[in-house]
Amino acid sequence: MRNILEFILRYSKWFVFTVYLLLGVLLLVSNNSYQQSVYLTSANMVTGNIYNGWSSVSGYFNLKSINESLQASNAELQNQVFNLKEEIAELRTQLADSAFDPRDAERFDFISASVINNSTRHPRNYFTINRGRKDGVMPGMGVVDQNGIVGIVNVSGNNMSRVISLLNETQHFSVKIKGSSYIGSLTWKGGDATIGYVEEIPRHATYQIGDTVVTSGFSTTFPEGIPVGVIMNRVRNQDDSFFTFKVRLTSDFKALSSVRIIKDIYKNEIDSLATLDLQLQ
Amino acid sequence: MDKNYVTNLLLQFVLILVQALVFNHIVLFDVAIAFVFIYIIIRLPMDMNTNWLLTWGFLAGVVMDLFSDTPGVNAVACTVLAMVKTPMLYAYVPRDDRTKNIYPSLASLGFSIYGKYLLSMTLIYCVLAFSLEYFNFADVKEISIMSASSAAFTFIILLSVDSLIASHREKRL
Repeated sequence: MRNILEFILRYSKWFVFTVYLLLGVLLLVSNNSYQQSVYLTSANMVTGNIYNGWSSVSGYFNLKSINESLQASNAELQNQVFNLKEEIAELRTQLADSAFDPRDAERFDFISASVINNSTRHPRNYFTINRGRKDGVMPGMGVVDQNGIVGIVNVSGNNMSRVISLLNETQHFSVKIKGSSYIGSLTWKGGDATIGYVEEIPRHATYQIGDTVVTSGFSTTFPEGIPVGVIMNRVRNQDDSFFTFKVRLTSDFKALSSVRIIKDIYKNEIDSLATLDLQLQ
Repeated sequence: MDKNYVTNLLLQFVLILVQALVFNHIVLFDVAIAFVFIYIIIRLPMDMNTNWLLTWGFLAGVVMDLFSDTPGVNAVACTVLAMVKTPMLYAYVPRDDRTKNIYPSLASLGFSIYGKYLLSMTLIYCVLAFSLEYFNFADVKEISIMSASSAAFTFIILLSVDSLIASHREKRL
């Protein structure tokens, strides 16, 4: 017995080292699961509040460029609203009142938030926003800024949430080429924060360099038609039955500041139908 | 507890904050990042109990991970860094000089020995941190480029901090 104790004491540093190493590896492995405890992320109370305080100082740095892009997007939106109003008024005259369902127009609700911590240098990037469960932010909601989509909420605490950035190698987004119905999948492959890839577009799809890529709307996360990027060129890939495009992302991920979280009022309904379908299979 | 350790502990927290708020956002040429928060692990006295040193490294890594949303990466890298600290320094310091100076620094060891020690430590940390983060053989090129450039960047920053402290002390004496 004494020998065992002596042995343990003598090599104690190796035991301690092994224990810490195992704990570290455990943390490393649990990082991959989607459901994560909020305490293990930057959305926890302490780090969240520190980032929040700091962003009230550093938030002023990019104001000029953010203001410019907001103005541009505002002008475009006003233009769209004007055109749509005219179009609706014209179409209304051709339709019976009963055919118009106002609920569809109110399907998506937006919650505005500020980005308080952001990274673009990791292979799996996340950012933290200053809205949480108290404000109605739940995991799985889509996040957009004035230029296009930026991520999906991953963990939400009471006052902060952590968002999986579009710049995350594990994340895929359902997208299509604007004006067509060919669906593909958008991923980021590390490195340059302005370049993404759209994969699995069928070969017979027609496209042009400079076409806009938008969200497909085939999920409850993003409504249809939110810009994602612009096609730069086609990439050669091994699988000949699909196109892969290199895409310049519309959002500037190095200067994220104000974002909106998208809330789909049909989300629970659609998700429960999907799980019901799985159960039936 | 030694007053020195309390100062070091405070400094460790300050450096983690500085790392999270400032240095994590400065990426030189899109590849090089300065990891300043490992400075305390490098500078802790050599007579510190290895078990405490390991605990220090692990906890510093865990806290850093919380800030940068990289669970486990810094925890493992800093634990290993704490483990190799003593053998690494003793590889460069002659046997007779080991007990003279227990605080590894530019002033106590001189540029030749301290420089080699600092560079080895930063390189070990960077290689480990980037390998654990990418965790993919396909990214070997990125890992090596980022590790090498980040180690060099960290080395320069930490060495300049060290020389500032050294010259400050000399002036006071």
